[in-house]
Amino acid sequence: MNKQLVHIKGTKAGLVLRLDDQCAYAELVEELERKVLEGGIDGKVDVQLHLGNRYLLSAQQKELIAIVEGPGNMHVSKVHSDVITIEESNEKVLTDQSETYIGIIRSGQIVKTDGNIVVIGDVNPNGKIEAGGSIYVLGNLKGIAHAGVNGNKEAIVVASHFEPTHVLIDDQIEVMSNEKPFVKENADQIFAYINRDGIISYERVQEVRKIRPLLSTIKGGS
Amino acid sequence: MGVAIVITSGKGGVGKTTTTANLGTALALQGKKVCLVDTDIGLRNLDLVLGLDNRIIYDLVDVVEGRCKIHQALVKDKRVDEKLFLLPAAQTTDKNAVNPEQMKSLVDELKREYDYVLIDCPAGIEQGYKNAVAGADRAIVVTTPEISAVRDADRIIGLLEQENIEPPKLIINRIRKDLMKTGDALDINEITTHLSVDLLGIVIDSEDVISSSNKGEPIVMDPNSKASLGYRNIARRILGESVPLMSIEDNSKGMFKKFISIFSK
Repeated sequence: MNKQLVHIKGTKAGLVLRLDDQCAYAELVEELERKVLEGGIDGKVDVQLHLGNRYLLSAQQKELIAIVEGPGNMHVSKVHSDVITIEESNEKVLTDQSETYIGIIRSGQIVKTDGNIVVIGDVNPNGKIEAGGSIYVLGNLKGIAHAGVNGNKEAIVVASHFEPTHVLIDDQIEVMSNEKPFVKENADQIFAYINRDGIISYERVQEVRKIRPLLSTIKGGS
Repeated sequence: MGVAIVITSGKGGVGKTTTTANLGTALALQGKKVCLVDTDIGLRNLDLVLGLDNRIIYDLVDVVEGRCKIHQALVKDKRVDEKLFLLPAAQTTDKNAVNPEQMKSLVDELKREYDYVLIDCPAGIEQGYKNAVAGADRAIVVTTPEISAVRDADRIIGLLEQENIEPPKLIINRIRKDLMKTGDALDINEITTHLSVDLLGIVIDSEDVISSSNKGEPIVMDPNSKASLGYRNIARRILGESVPLMSIEDNSKGMFKKFISIFSK
């Protein structure tokens, strides 16, 4: 064998194992086992697996992780691959995209989406929006808003007039009938998010850039 | 070919039946040929408000099931000659006795002969509502300045927007100017912006409406009542006239009294 199938590289964050993506899987496993055993590393170290253009089933991924973690002094922190399946890609497209709903969500109506949603119109009492991502309402939010339904704690709820009966983000529920002077006084243009303590809190929309900078998908203004 | 208008509200007791009876009469007084259809099967009362209850021979279910011809079941209102007819609901069965397809073909048949077919919808959003909406081209939503009625109106407008009909129009019924002034009742502006539909008209609450209903005589027959004026204005707007919204202030004072009140300030 004249070509190395497993490259080991040390970085600040630990070791990076770059695995060849052209050889057969069996060969790779064999080589990896050998490299791991000869290793001779002292103490615990974090390892990242870079798979390149190889797609691995989750069972195969587990097998590789088990091999690396076998001797006991290495811990796989991340598995990185340049390829994903069409299914994963479609899912990502759905959760990342923004849908636009123009109209009024009235009592008894539910609007659902996998990604973010922009509502141009009102959400009336007893009307409900459910989004996998964030909810942006250009109008009066007087109904129920549930953002991050599939466990996205980063999601936020924004409204030009923020007066909902219930706000839900992921599995957190907030019933707005409780006295909230901040929300009442600043009903125009505030947003809801899950803070570091895991509970829903409110800030002026100008603070989104500090609290959720990663929601921005575009940089500019220069 | 006429137009079929369904009059609905979601909540009960806001004045759908009274509105249907009065708008029908008002349109007939303007010279249009009008047929009122009561779809509240099992709980009919449009005939009572019109004072036609003792003249019913056949009803809507009889027509749908083919026991009689449509014109045999229609009851003529003699006060407005040859202009106003009622197709009464059945009292002995329930809403499941007819289905939306049957209602649609019935209404289509009536539209051929009448300028306006007003369909009185039962309360609720179940079978009876579906039947009533099936044949309609337009919808009028009746509400009152109460939060419960407005909430239900919102729901019903949402459902109507799913149907293949023109955007619904709103009537705010039973307006109490004293409560609206003090802010104890929702005001007209608040209701229309909340529901964001066009306002077709307002009707002021009046005791005359109750007494005239009990007499079986629609209030529009009495030109002096303020409620009557509200209904007449709405009828004119349905006919395409542009009529300014009446003020809810009481200006029934005579010229002389007004004159006095200027000096008594």
